Amino acid sequence: MTTTSLDAREPDTALPARGDEVWRNERVDLAAERQARRRAGRHRLLTGAGGVAGLLVGWQLAAVLLDDPVILPSVVRTARTFAHYLTHNYPSQSPPLWEDLMISLRRILIGFVVGTGLGVSVGAAMFSSRTVRHLIDPVVEIVRPLPPLAFIPLFIVWFGIGELPKEVLIAFGVVPVMIVAALAALDDVPDDLQFAARTLGASRAYALWHVQIRAALPGIITGMRIALGGSWGSIVAAEMLAATSGIGFVISQAGNYLDTALVFSGIILIAVTELLLDTGLRALAARADPSRRKKDRV
Amino acid sequence: MRAELVDTFPAAGAHRAAAAGPPGADRGTAAEVRLQSLTKVFRRGGRRTVAFSDVDLTIAAGEFVCLLGPSGCGKSTLLRVVAGMLRPDAGSVVVAGRTVTGPAADRGMLFQRPMLFPWLTARDNVLFGPRAQRSRGLDERSDAEMGADADAILDTVGLTEFAGAYPHELSGGMQHRAAFARAVITRPSVLLMDEPFGALDAITRLRMQQFLLAMWEKYRLTILFVTHDIDEAILLSDRVAMMAGKPPALTHVIDVPLARPRVADSVDAAAVLATKRHIRSVLTH
Repeated sequence: MTTTSLDAREPDTALPARGDEVWRNERVDLAAERQARRRAGRHRLLTGAGGVAGLLVGWQLAAVLLDDPVILPSVVRTARTFAHYLTHNYPSQSPPLWEDLMISLRRILIGFVVGTGLGVSVGAAMFSSRTVRHLIDPVVEIVRPLPPLAFIPLFIVWFGIGELPKEVLIAFGVVPVMIVAALAALDDVPDDLQFAARTLGASRAYALWHVQIRAALPGIITGMRIALGGSWGSIVAAEMLAATSGIGFVISQAGNYLDTALVFSGIILIAVTELLLDTGLRALAARADPSRRKKDRV
Repeated sequence: MRAELVDTFPAAGAHRAAAAGPPGADRGTAAEVRLQSLTKVFRRGGRRTVAFSDVDLTIAAGEFVCLLGPSGCGKSTLLRVVAGMLRPDAGSVVVAGRTVTGPAADRGMLFQRPMLFPWLTARDNVLFGPRAQRSRGLDERSDAEMGADADAILDTVGLTEFAGAYPHELSGGMQHRAAFARAVITRPSVLLMDEPFGALDAITRLRMQQFLLAMWEKYRLTILFVTHDIDEAILLSDRVAMMAGKPPALTHVIDVPLARPRVADSVDAAAVLATKRHIRSVLTH
């Protein structure tokens, strides 16, 4: 370490020519930081997998101790049932588990996409206009807590007994959630971010789309994750009550015949599918806002 | 047209030859800013708050003026009216002979927080302005030309190695430099700065002041800089415009008699002290 005395130093008489000459000793090791984040991500994956494995072991143990395949089928038995009915029909006239899942998924996705598009549009409109906001806000607050299931009989009367009432049901549950999520996300974006865009030469519309909505995207995706989770609950219940296909229908049928292994299989199938979709949305959110990767993974 | 403007920024060593200002086309030339009887009133619910009243100020092209005053004296609001983000209730802002009606790229603005777009890398942040303008037809450059311009400016601010980094990966000082590069690439005639170094620690703030002085020497923009720090105002500006009172107004405009280029270590200490005393006496009057 060198020490300099007051007299020995020559005063700086020239301004630096380049910005970085002011910071000669600054160093940020990007590569090392990114590597550390990847390592932390791997750690998280392994720990999570370990947790799930622990859950399976506990379940098998409990099943063996209980020794009642109806109350609690073992992991092994459930797995065998799962594998069998994935491709074989249950009951003999209806489609296999895999196809039932696809049927349920299709209903959800259609309702979800329409619901999200509608919800985000209304949310954006409410954000842009105070009048629209005051107009629609009470309606949303009244509708949002209502269980979509209560509307099934009404939707059947309105839309018949085909696919439409189920898709409307999903959309009906998704729209209020997305309105609230989109509006909150847009409100959260600092005003100055859009101002900055305008002073850089962006038009009003460009700034709204490329900055305001773009910045609100992570919040909107979080809303989508919540809405998606709720959608599964709605569709399964609807299929138990008023359908002849879909995974909810299979579960309720299996319950009637006390085939709990199949009930578990159905539930697991829902869980796995939801996990995959949710992971996809999280990846989308991480791409939408790179700074979030820090919080989510590390 | 664009190629000429890139060349008008002098090479690294030439900054010492005190240039009169960048020559060339309309965009990129420093502009004169004229505030005439500017008044802004906020009406919220039945209450009427006067942000500032009857502000008259003329800033010459290429001049560096600081707006000095305590917190809450309306200086940030004044800056936003000049930027075009807020409409004045009386008076007008005239930049290069044209009245301001809304925000535009000829009046760049820097905020207390860097306000970089977190989903874009530093380089893409810098390219935001040109791309946005291209979508409106105001900029006809190709991707390659814009890219070269961005790289050159990133080099000037010293962020070449971090061009591909995201804002959250950069330190506070680096983020401000990136924001500066982003604002300057659109060749604004006026740069409006709202206490941009206020959130930084004292050491980084010193460096950023040095950086700003170097950049001003190079680009010779008209700068209106808001601050509550007397030392900062004296170090950076040609004149200090002081705002105070109820309702807030421009009370004094004080000349800063320090030679340029200004380097923090070698400024005329006596002149600094005299100016500081002058400002203090005005404030405590």
